[in-house]
Amino acid sequence: MQEREHIISMLVNNRPGVLSRISGVFGRLGYNIKSLCVAETMNPDVSRITLVSRANSNFTEKIKKNLDKLIDIVEVKELDRGESVSRELSLLGLVLTADNRPDILRTVDLFGCRILSITDNYVILAAIGTGEETATILNYLKAYEIKDLARTGAIAIEKGGGSRD
Amino acid sequence: MKQTGAEILIATLAELGVDTIFGYPGASSLPIHDCLRESPIRHYLVRHEQAAAHAADGYARATGATGVCLATSGPGATNLVTGIATAYMDSTPMIALTGQVSTNLLGSDAFQETDIVGITMPITKHSFLINDVSLIESTVQEAFEIARSGRPGPVLIDLPQDVMAAVVTERITANRPSPKKDHYTSEETIDRLKKIAKHLNNAEKPVILIGGGIKLAQAFDELQELVEKGQIPFVSTMMGIGSLKSPHDLNLGFIGTHGNEPANHSIHRSDFILAIGVRFTNRSTSIVEEFAPLATIAQIDIDPTSIGKNIKADLSAVCDIRKALGILSPLLEHKDRREWLSRIKKKHELMERDDKSNGCGAAGLVVQKVQENMPEGTIGTADVGLNQIWTLRNWRALAPRTLITSGGMGTMGFSLPAAVGASVGKNRCPVIAFTGDGGLLMNIQELATVGFYQLPVKIVLFNNGHLGMIRQIQDLWYGARFADSYLGNHMNFTAIARGFGLPAAHVSAENPEAGIREMCASDGPFFLEVEVDCQNYVYPIIPPGRSNVEMIYDKAT
Repeated sequence: MQEREHIISMLVNNRPGVLSRISGVFGRLGYNIKSLCVAETMNPDVSRITLVSRANSNFTEKIKKNLDKLIDIVEVKELDRGESVSRELSLLGLVLTADNRPDILRTVDLFGCRILSITDNYVILAAIGTGEETATILNYLKAYEIKDLARTGAIAIEKGGGSRD
Repeated sequence: MKQTGAEILIATLAELGVDTIFGYPGASSLPIHDCLRESPIRHYLVRHEQAAAHAADGYARATGATGVCLATSGPGATNLVTGIATAYMDSTPMIALTGQVSTNLLGSDAFQETDIVGITMPITKHSFLINDVSLIESTVQEAFEIARSGRPGPVLIDLPQDVMAAVVTERITANRPSPKKDHYTSEETIDRLKKIAKHLNNAEKPVILIGGGIKLAQAFDELQELVEKGQIPFVSTMMGIGSLKSPHDLNLGFIGTHGNEPANHSIHRSDFILAIGVRFTNRSTSIVEEFAPLATIAQIDIDPTSIGKNIKADLSAVCDIRKALGILSPLLEHKDRREWLSRIKKKHELMERDDKSNGCGAAGLVVQKVQENMPEGTIGTADVGLNQIWTLRNWRALAPRTLITSGGMGTMGFSLPAAVGASVGKNRCPVIAFTGDGGLLMNIQELATVGFYQLPVKIVLFNNGHLGMIRQIQDLWYGARFADSYLGNHMNFTAIARGFGLPAAHVSAENPEAGIREMCASDGPFFLEVEVDCQNYVYPIIPPGRSNVEMIYDKAT
């Protein structure tokens, strides 16, 4: 069966051990987590987890049912790409030289990157984009030395406030 | 009023209806035991924590209530693990309370510290570490709600010593998120059930397959009504045994590797199977590709992950089984299925006539003779191995919850401590604990518990000097190479039982009458050692990799 990326969005009770139970379900069913992002929602008792996993189409039903059984999961959904928006934040640290400085700093104009910190020989850029846009930026910059990279992985929500009903 | 954490814990348990705890103390759990001493809750002191979990499990299976066990931190807690896993696999509602080192020592590798919440995560429905005295009451309430709602299961509560010893001047109750509600009786579910009823009415050769879910949903009356109204033959999984009056005309026995032949054949020839509260484990289905090849399969279960997990369900409904059967029964039409019924029943009757022991030889007849001599309502517990199959094929569960065994986990050493729990739970009802020499040794220390409380638990030990089922498998499929299945005939179990203070007798499977009479005439505990030939196997049996109808009847086939 064809493998593809699935975005799973969950609302969970903000209690200790919840993430461990969720990752336990993925581990037991043999699925790898590609990216994972967790933060509190407007209600501090509830956190949102956005998780990306590559798997075949059996995945959604199996994983959703098993996640839904966890006591601390309030809601679990697979997000449809057309019906949701998703972004990823990347922080990139690059060594600046006289030669590469103009090309690297051009990413601010080309891709809307922001400069978070800069010294004579080192810059930290922030890039926000979809998965595809992030791949494009990384592709452009890989010609230079990316010394450090931190990515949030995708965060996503449904258009039209899907999770409120 | 001043109260300690332990006092709040015990008061909350009592308010939730807990009357019995099976446990074993240690330093970290002492505040709890100290408080239990003067509480209305009766504490039964077992002799190993694994037995505390099995006893709580047996208590729950016999009564339908939630069982409670208690162990100290570290090794006490880890000793519970097999018992918790056993309860998890068979969906027993259970609360495991564990002592824990004080909160300031957590993570310091303190004496008898272990991360029991982490260790038990895959084998509990949920677990809690209570780190604040104000959370005790609400957490315990939530734990019970989780353990017994939906598909039941064990819930562990880890209780640090300082939280139990903490003193509060008033009982504080904190709000916690309420557990999930079941949302399963929607219009859609009712439509799904109607569709299942329609298929069932149209079926020529329907069979109802019942699993452990009937007991968990307490749907005994509803099931009886369903099979009788529709005149539909029924079979069960191992966990489904004892969900109905077993000698029922329509009952064809249990399916699977060690199951009854008519049960396996009826599934194979059926055109419609209504599976209720089953998950189709590999021991029930054998190879899935050839399971019920002609049938449309409908599945009803409260757990959505059970639907289609192992066998594809053509129709399904996620629903409380009792409610589902209540909706289904009125929709059933009377239909003439005499031909289908007479065909399968005839085969059933012929087999019963030809072999009174149901393929279990002298050992199977011992089980029958024991039951004949015991009062009605006696509970049977079976261990794991040949003794389990001898018991399941020959003990007639005349009422629900009177035959108890570890199905999913297949835990050796289960039957004796489970019998302790069952007897305690049913007001000191007589219980026969069937076991083998292998299984008995795994929890033999519980003979001390039985003697100490003078419980009417009667242990029937089938002693064949071997791990009998392993020996049979080796004999049939490992070229009769008996690797590590010989336990020896050098032990005198009768003397050991007497050493534990129990009256005991020793008989052979061929001439057991005198011993059985003596055992059944005694009021309290008794130990009956039954010597069995190590070639007293179970037939028919399904070879590995074969379908449920390719059973063999002896070594030659």
